[in-house]
Amino acid sequence: MDESYTSLPTSHLLGSVPAVVNEEEKRVNDYVAPEANLQNFPPNNGGNRGHGYQSLGNTLGDGQPSTNNWRGVFSISSYTQYFNVDTDIVVNRLISSLNPISGDFFNKIDANPDLYGLVWISTTLVFVIASLGNCATYLMEKLSDSSTSWSFNVSYLNLAACVVYGYALAVPLAFYFLLQYLGSNTSVVRFWCMWGYSLFIFILCSFLLVIPVEFLRWMIIILAGGSSAFFVALNLRSYLEGNDLNVVLVAAFILQLGLALFFKIYFFA
Amino acid sequence: MSNSLSDTIPLHPSSQSDIDEIENLIHNSIQTGPATVLPARSPSPPRASIPVSSSPFIQSNLPPPPLNSQSNYQKPPLPAATVPAVTAPPPPPLGADSRQNIAASGFGSASNTLTEPVWDTVKRDLSRIVSNLKLVVFPNPYREDPGKALRDWDLWGPFFFVIFLGLTLSWSASVKKSEVFAVAFALLAAGAVILTLNVLLLGGHIIFFQSLSLLGYCLFPLDVGALICMLKDNVIVKLIIVCVTLAWSSWAAYPFMSTAVNPRRKALALYPVFLMYVSVGFLIIAID
Repeated sequence: MDESYTSLPTSHLLGSVPAVVNEEEKRVNDYVAPEANLQNFPPNNGGNRGHGYQSLGNTLGDGQPSTNNWRGVFSISSYTQYFNVDTDIVVNRLISSLNPISGDFFNKIDANPDLYGLVWISTTLVFVIASLGNCATYLMEKLSDSSTSWSFNVSYLNLAACVVYGYALAVPLAFYFLLQYLGSNTSVVRFWCMWGYSLFIFILCSFLLVIPVEFLRWMIIILAGGSSAFFVALNLRSYLEGNDLNVVLVAAFILQLGLALFFKIYFFA
Repeated sequence: MSNSLSDTIPLHPSSQSDIDEIENLIHNSIQTGPATVLPARSPSPPRASIPVSSSPFIQSNLPPPPLNSQSNYQKPPLPAATVPAVTAPPPPPLGADSRQNIAASGFGSASNTLTEPVWDTVKRDLSRIVSNLKLVVFPNPYREDPGKALRDWDLWGPFFFVIFLGLTLSWSASVKKSEVFAVAFALLAAGAVILTLNVLLLGGHIIFFQSLSLLGYCLFPLDVGALICMLKDNVIVKLIIVCVTLAWSSWAAYPFMSTAVNPRRKALALYPVFLMYVSVGFLIIAID
């Protein structure tokens, strides 16, 4: 505590604070989210009196740079910048994630990538796949053999959690390192955000996959998987302007399609 | 002797002796007649042990005169040095008594909780769980401001409700009982933590363990639903019961979660709570 107290005022004295505050305020004003502006020092936040507690926490957590040191990694307030979204913003992003060909998702989230979408879309997907997968399996068995009794397979939940969380965390990370290696200037939080929203369509299509008609199911999952894969690949293209690296796009496309097929084969067999 | 005496005195010596003297003053003023002689000696030890060096030359110090003048005139000739030797037995009960009084006045009406029977402790915790449950789950005027309602939060209630729900689900499961319990327990325990973190990350103002406590208490309707569903075997009845208890749980959690965050993010904070309760409700129906 003593260290943090002495380290902060020196940065103030060096004159770095006004620049940071201006930048942050400009950013915050851009996304119409005055509630969570990160570094409002008391002299600067005239209209925001009610949140002295929060702004104090954020000045201690020091916003963006703080995840670079160990104190910031374990502080919740240093992650609030990734959850700085309102309901209408999230709804807007969800709707735009259903449109695979526009390819401007990164422009939309430009300065404010959120992890809320990633966390809760993947959690919802885990639950939906595990529960509806059980229902679909039961319906299929019921059609072939009407004496089948309902049985809930809990291991669907474990498998779905491993696959969805693993995919949503590891694949964007892998592409981040790959593109860093290839010399593009990327940000891992944006990749997480984009891949997280790309999973949203699977939640919707899971409800349709309950219909116990095998042909229809394959059509639905291929459409949804293709849409999601196009969404990922076309958005990723904006990072590869000028480079001749279509193999990266193809890899992203195939991975997303593979995830869709995995859902179909393991949960809606 | 005087060393061991001062060891038993827990507070500042001067305040302790003041309290003793006032207390003894009250005792002495109540008791009259020849019986006063024996208790009249009890006030002297604390007095004698602390100002032991000052007694010879300041005999008319401020505290002593009222005490002596009121109760016992025959006491002054008593030498200060002999006092501890004569009245050695009385001090321990006196010290303990005064300490208890201090504890009683300092920490509310609760008397010494270290020496009470175990049953009293359990009963107190149970009654607190019941009163918290009433404040959270049942309609009452404090629900609008649950920060006030759950000021006296505890984690025993949520613990019991989570364990109970996990056990009920695993009892009603026909296969993989232990895995069902593990999944249910992990879902409920980790779910409460993650939901609280979600509110914190959305910039809400919430007390971490209070929120855990509240989310645990909100499981109570689902506990009831799971219990009924375990006894009834009709799918339609189960569906209705789970829907009702789901609505009840969501209604109980709504005011706390919605007031914690900015109104524009209300849906973002409430959706995960709803998701967790829906998944628990689904587990209740599905596990058969």
